[in-house]
Amino acid sequence: MIEKIYDSVIKETCLKYVHESGVRVYMLPMDGYSTAVAQFTVKFGSQDNAFSLNGSGLHKVPDGTAHYLEHKLFESEEKDAFRLFAQTGASCNAGTSFDYTQYYFSCTDSFKENLEILLGFVQDPYFTPENVEKERGIIGQEITMYRDSPGWRVFTNLLEGLYSVNPVRNDIAGTVETIAEITEKALYDCYNAYYNPANMYLCVAGNFDPSEVIAVCEDKLQKREPLDVRTAAFDEPLTVNNRRMELTMPVSKPIFEIGFKRPALSGQAQIDEYIHFNILFDMIFGSVSDFFGRMRDSGLINEQFSDGVFNGRGFCIPFLRGESNDPDAVLAEIQRELRAFKTVPPPREEFERIKRATYGSLVRDFTSADAVASTLSEAALRDSSPFATIDTAAKAEYEKMLELLLGLDEENVCISIVKGDR
Amino acid sequence: MYKYTDKRFKTNEIQVMLYTDFNGLSRSDCAAAAYILTDCCKKFPTYSELSKHLANLYSASLYSNVNFAWSGMRVAAVKANVLGNAYALDGENLEAEMCGILCECLLSPNAENGKFDETATANMRAEIIDDIDSVINEKSSYAAQRGAMIAFKGEPMDTPPVGTHEEAERITPETAYHAYRNMLETARIHIVCSGSSDFTDTERAFTKAFSKLERSNICELKKTPSTLKPEPAVFADTIPMEQAILRMYFKAPEFGDFRAALILSVILGGMTTSRFFLNIREKQSLCYYCACTGNRALRTLTAYAGVEPQNIELTKQAILDELNDIRENGVTEEELSAAKLDLYNRYSSMKDSPSIMIAWYHGQILDDEIHSPEEECREIEKVTSERIRAAARAYTLDTVYTLCSPDFDGTADSDEREDTE
Repeated sequence: MIEKIYDSVIKETCLKYVHESGVRVYMLPMDGYSTAVAQFTVKFGSQDNAFSLNGSGLHKVPDGTAHYLEHKLFESEEKDAFRLFAQTGASCNAGTSFDYTQYYFSCTDSFKENLEILLGFVQDPYFTPENVEKERGIIGQEITMYRDSPGWRVFTNLLEGLYSVNPVRNDIAGTVETIAEITEKALYDCYNAYYNPANMYLCVAGNFDPSEVIAVCEDKLQKREPLDVRTAAFDEPLTVNNRRMELTMPVSKPIFEIGFKRPALSGQAQIDEYIHFNILFDMIFGSVSDFFGRMRDSGLINEQFSDGVFNGRGFCIPFLRGESNDPDAVLAEIQRELRAFKTVPPPREEFERIKRATYGSLVRDFTSADAVASTLSEAALRDSSPFATIDTAAKAEYEKMLELLLGLDEENVCISIVKGDR
Repeated sequence: MYKYTDKRFKTNEIQVMLYTDFNGLSRSDCAAAAYILTDCCKKFPTYSELSKHLANLYSASLYSNVNFAWSGMRVAAVKANVLGNAYALDGENLEAEMCGILCECLLSPNAENGKFDETATANMRAEIIDDIDSVINEKSSYAAQRGAMIAFKGEPMDTPPVGTHEEAERITPETAYHAYRNMLETARIHIVCSGSSDFTDTERAFTKAFSKLERSNICELKKTPSTLKPEPAVFADTIPMEQAILRMYFKAPEFGDFRAALILSVILGGMTTSRFFLNIREKQSLCYYCACTGNRALRTLTAYAGVEPQNIELTKQAILDELNDIRENGVTEEELSAAKLDLYNRYSSMKDSPSIMIAWYHGQILDDEIHSPEEECREIEKVTSERIRAAARAYTLDTVYTLCSPDFDGTADSDEREDTE
């Protein structure tokens, strides 16, 4: 049974189909395009580091296991996935985030064959003590590379400052010490628990025939007993763990990230908050704002200053980031501006302007097969309509934005700073 | 003016490229001029006012950058991207609006009496200085810039396209405006459009706007291969960091078979079944990344890797071994086929992006004939294993650059050292 989901705003149709294994499949064919992109996503990320299976006791795994597993899944007993894709010319890769792991390819030819490879290798783990050991050095190097990146460190320190127990505070790849504990057994345990069809999504966009996708799914997707896997719950306080985080490493000018701790939401409520916070922060702090012009002219910030919302399963962080010789002064100015807007709310016409800009940016994302597939995957992870974000932007409400502004505690904030050693 | 129309796109992109050489004008002044043009104009005299207007156009983007073109040239590009008219909620003509703003910014900047606005210039000076200084924040960019200083010493590429900190300090409203006028009057100007529109109105608007300009001594476009040093240069920098970065530059100034060089770079380190990936990362576990990229105009190949400091020498030797192996034994049919398929995939997907199509045509402006991606695929198909072997033999090691921690014994004795092998 294929469900057609049409969006009148951007005039696109998405096809949804649930395979009997439980894998949800979203497809958006794009007429005239050359590229097809397929993303096979599992709801298992770095934050899933302790879980119970079918009511059993808590099972803990070392930090970085999800990422390690992603690396190892490309390998098989015969020919690794990279070699198989090389025979078709497709470009393939994978990524691990806090709340999901994704395997994907992009191709202009041999789509069916590529999809078979993708579904095949993700469902066929091959972990041995030797191949797990071999990967340790490579991942250790990846961890080291990120440790040298001030942009990454200022972000991960912000998460550590905001959260006390939420595992999102741990680095996605783990540390050299935690990955030393990862064994093939830990990888199989996680694989068998989380890589269950009911916990997985396939999203395809671009140049492909939907009937071909369905045929490959029927042929390749393995039916497995549904499992009750539950990531361990945690009791995260509403207030920030640490209001100020500071680190010294080679940077030309201090860089900072400022994050407000918000209760985590899910479904449409999460999308609502995401869109309305984006509009609110763009309006108060974005390049169109008086704040931005004032701060830039005074030299306190430069054009690197930006805002956004980082959210996912179990976390929601409206943030501002940039470079400044005095990041603490920037934070004080931001807090002052928020208090001022709470007293005298922003004009409606400004809201309409930013709402229109937000809508325009989201429509732009529907131009490439890559971006469309990512939009579908994000929606699938949230169990929402593929067009929910764009529709929410088109129908954003001033009152909702105002409610967020008035409810935002400007003191429940963490500033993370990386400053230079000179 | 080049136009590429495809009704599938939801956006329209217009880029105005001003090509000049590096003789005469300060790099920082040219950069400041280009950046000021998209920061404000006479009609929208502050960044905030211009940004508000762009937000009204559904978050249309307008920005500029300055970069190298074909190694020895500079391109100051002013770029605009706007939604297609079909997606305007109130039926606005977004393309015409955007074209109008672009012409305003290019030809009616926020300037009077031969100088740019003081505040706009001060902001840009600060931004450019921050931009130049902040290269140290990303170690791979820092290593690329420092490596280029050695590999291309005495050539335009030895200094960043936006200039140095000291040069940027000297930007004034007058000097930046002088650079702007000079570029406008002498640059080779190309306008490239790509998107759902047929750009008839845009072409008319630009023709009218530019017809009033008095231009002379138009800059001549040229490609200059980088000179090969008689002996390879070896240079090391140290800064506090955990991982080390190795960059190796190979040059072949007399070798014109760029398609063979391109495939060589893909086989060495441009795909997930490349030799560097399979042999240096996967088999020897020496690094997380080890890749290779080529520059057609400079006639260079650059191999780069992030490695543990104690593995620098091993990695360097492993890279040389791979190149030597191709010189002696050539490449396998499987490698050649995988590299060609990889390139077909890249080229075939280009038509799905308006901005990539602009970059594609822009890259061929100096060629005798301009190829479509499909035509280029046919040329790639003709490349043989023997041509790749000839490319491997032509490319010679020119520079080895490393960046690592001062705590590492191999380089702990000084901040910088320069010697030759």
